[in-house]
Amino acid sequence: MDWAGWALFGLVATTALTAALTAAQLAGLTRIDFPLLLGTLVTEDPDRARIVGFFMHLGAGQGFALGYTATFALLHHATWWIGALLGTVHVGIALTVLLPLLPGVHPRIASQRAGPASTAVLEPPGLFALNYGNQTPAVAAVVHIMYGVVLGVLLQPH
Amino acid sequence: MTGRSDTTSPRSPTPISDYGLLGDTRTAALVAGDGAIDWLCVPRFDGEPLFGRLVGGPDAGTYRVGPARPATIVKRHYRRHSATLETTWAVGSSRLTLTEAMIAEVSGRLLPTTLIVRRLSAEEAAVDAVVDFDPRVGVRHRRPRVHHRHQALVCQWGSLAVSLSSSPTLAIEPGRPTLITVRPGQPITLVLAVAHREPLIHVEPAAAWKLLNEDEDRWQAWSAEIDESLPFREHVIRSLLTMRLLTYSPSRAPVAAPTTSLPEDPGGVRNWDYRYVWPRDASIGVSAFLSVGKPDEARGFLAWLLHASRLQRPRLPAVLTLHGRHVPRERELPGWPGYLDSVPVRIGNAAAGQHQLDGYGWVIDAAWTFVQAGQRLYSETWRAVRGFADVVARCWQEPDAGIWEVREPAQHIHSKLMGWLALDRALRIADTHPLPGRQRRRWQETRDAIAAEVRVSGFDPTAASYVRGYGSRDLDAALLVLPLLGMDSADSTRVRGTIDAIRDRLSAGGPLLYRYPPGRDGLPGTEGAFLPCSFWLVQALASTGRRSEAVELFRTMLDLASPLGLYPEEMDPATGAHLGNYPQTLTHAALVQAALAIRDAPL
Repeated sequence: MDWAGWALFGLVATTALTAALTAAQLAGLTRIDFPLLLGTLVTEDPDRARIVGFFMHLGAGQGFALGYTATFALLHHATWWIGALLGTVHVGIALTVLLPLLPGVHPRIASQRAGPASTAVLEPPGLFALNYGNQTPAVAAVVHIMYGVVLGVLLQPH
Repeated sequence: MTGRSDTTSPRSPTPISDYGLLGDTRTAALVAGDGAIDWLCVPRFDGEPLFGRLVGGPDAGTYRVGPARPATIVKRHYRRHSATLETTWAVGSSRLTLTEAMIAEVSGRLLPTTLIVRRLSAEEAAVDAVVDFDPRVGVRHRRPRVHHRHQALVCQWGSLAVSLSSSPTLAIEPGRPTLITVRPGQPITLVLAVAHREPLIHVEPAAAWKLLNEDEDRWQAWSAEIDESLPFREHVIRSLLTMRLLTYSPSRAPVAAPTTSLPEDPGGVRNWDYRYVWPRDASIGVSAFLSVGKPDEARGFLAWLLHASRLQRPRLPAVLTLHGRHVPRERELPGWPGYLDSVPVRIGNAAAGQHQLDGYGWVIDAAWTFVQAGQRLYSETWRAVRGFADVVARCWQEPDAGIWEVREPAQHIHSKLMGWLALDRALRIADTHPLPGRQRRRWQETRDAIAAEVRVSGFDPTAASYVRGYGSRDLDAALLVLPLLGMDSADSTRVRGTIDAIRDRLSAGGPLLYRYPPGRDGLPGTEGAFLPCSFWLVQALASTGRRSEAVELFRTMLDLASPLGLYPEEMDPATGAHLGNYPQTLTHAALVQAALAIRDAPL
């Protein structure tokens, strides 16, 4: 395992993913905002949440990078296209499993079943996070594939 | 106890005002006086109609539970401060009562997202009743695949399934009215559960009835929190409950109305889809809920506004879906006969692409109301508000579609006034929030420029009134917001002249007002009186020291509600018939604001 590479390039890849996602938001392509979604687990203020969430997202990205590093080590190969393939699997899991489950544990995301007693104000992501804009699945796919490519290019296979 | 009826008696069109609203804050049903649910979209307000008879004709589905023979309604009301509807018919010497509600609070429990509970009970003697369950889905009114499971009838269309269970068990088949006998002391409870992209969850009728009662307690507790000093409190509570029932809880977005294509002109083409969210309505809701002591609802409205507008910021879309997405392109449903033959029946809304300058004013005013109530805006919220104000400063001279969403853009004075309001309120917020000096100066200069131009080009000295547009002599009832803005003093001759001119020249008889001279909007046909305008007139009168006139007008308006206290968008001045989509959030919000203006007016 390329432990040094994991420690450094995991951060690089997650930062690149976050930057690309922010750019997509600013361009009006999506309203998905991972730092905000994560940060509002601990604070209601969106600006503070984004800062806290950015570091939480870095931590999560580091966790996923561990999986990429282990996969490259098992395959004895680390290429951009294997990284891209892993990124595709990664985004698939994020959109179909992780995000739809988030309302179940997040105190500030309303669920599709929310009723009048709910005080959660963050809208739920919905299927493929489509509630955050029609282009959200495409944007999420692109940034996660980019994340995989960065790791595929920078990590060593052993 | 049960039998089958193979004849379905043809039903004449139910007047709009005969419909009651059932809601769970995710979707809503309209129930006619004969016990027929003729409108219910699933899984959300803007979903597909499961029962669409209201505008889709007999083939579009209905769910009727009521007397088997024509009967007279002796009492129909919502149980006090709740969303539970109770209808009692006289059948001979007996009474048959239908008690029904949708279950709003399903979160955290193994319950279906949409659950309708209906109970028939008889008094004095046994009564024959009928259950006509005929769910259909899609533009072509597809019939379901049917089977029975766990003593429940299950109807399926791909990822959508509904189950109907009852206690005692009834042999119900879709599309075939079932005759039943209801005996005193032996009520019949029916439970309709809907599952969309998830497994069906069956709820025992006894448990469902308990849920209905729990929900009723919750609504009563919710209503008890409303300011006790409000004038006309019972009417205001019904309006607030209606507004809350029409607010989609998962995103806190208020739909304009739960229906599409109820006509503004029966038999005409003015049939629109209102199952979307107008930021303007949401903004009016902010101040309405804040002022009656419901800050959570106000916060929810504002949060939705901010999230929803993010994709297109700093531009503020005129209309959005419940989740802040682009509204589907407007299209017509072929073969749908419409309410009273009013075609086309439309879904989607073409107003989505319009530029409506007034929207910025409503939204920034809502943010200001929030700040006035002692709340501080998050930096992100303030950034969004600054962006909106910048758009106004940049674009206020452009023609727009205005509040009435006319399809040919024009220079609307009301839009300019709301542009003035946007900048004025943004500047007031800036007193407690950071704003660069250059931006402040630009807003001040633009605000003053708008006022100067409107006073010259938007005022008709001969009529002593502001007018609808540059060079126009037409009036516009939306100008009744004038005394609330503060651009001209509330007791100035310009403000008073405008109020009097609108009251006189746009009068549709009694308390009713047209929003502008009928027919002057480029669309064929005419329309009714626009009910929110009458409540705005109440507000304008109360704000300009004419409280007793305001109270008198308000009382008259209360008499025009449906028997259940609900209002549509418009009313036929000649017949008093309700027109347009129903019930209408904007009308109810205007009612609440009018009551608040009366409360705040000096005696």
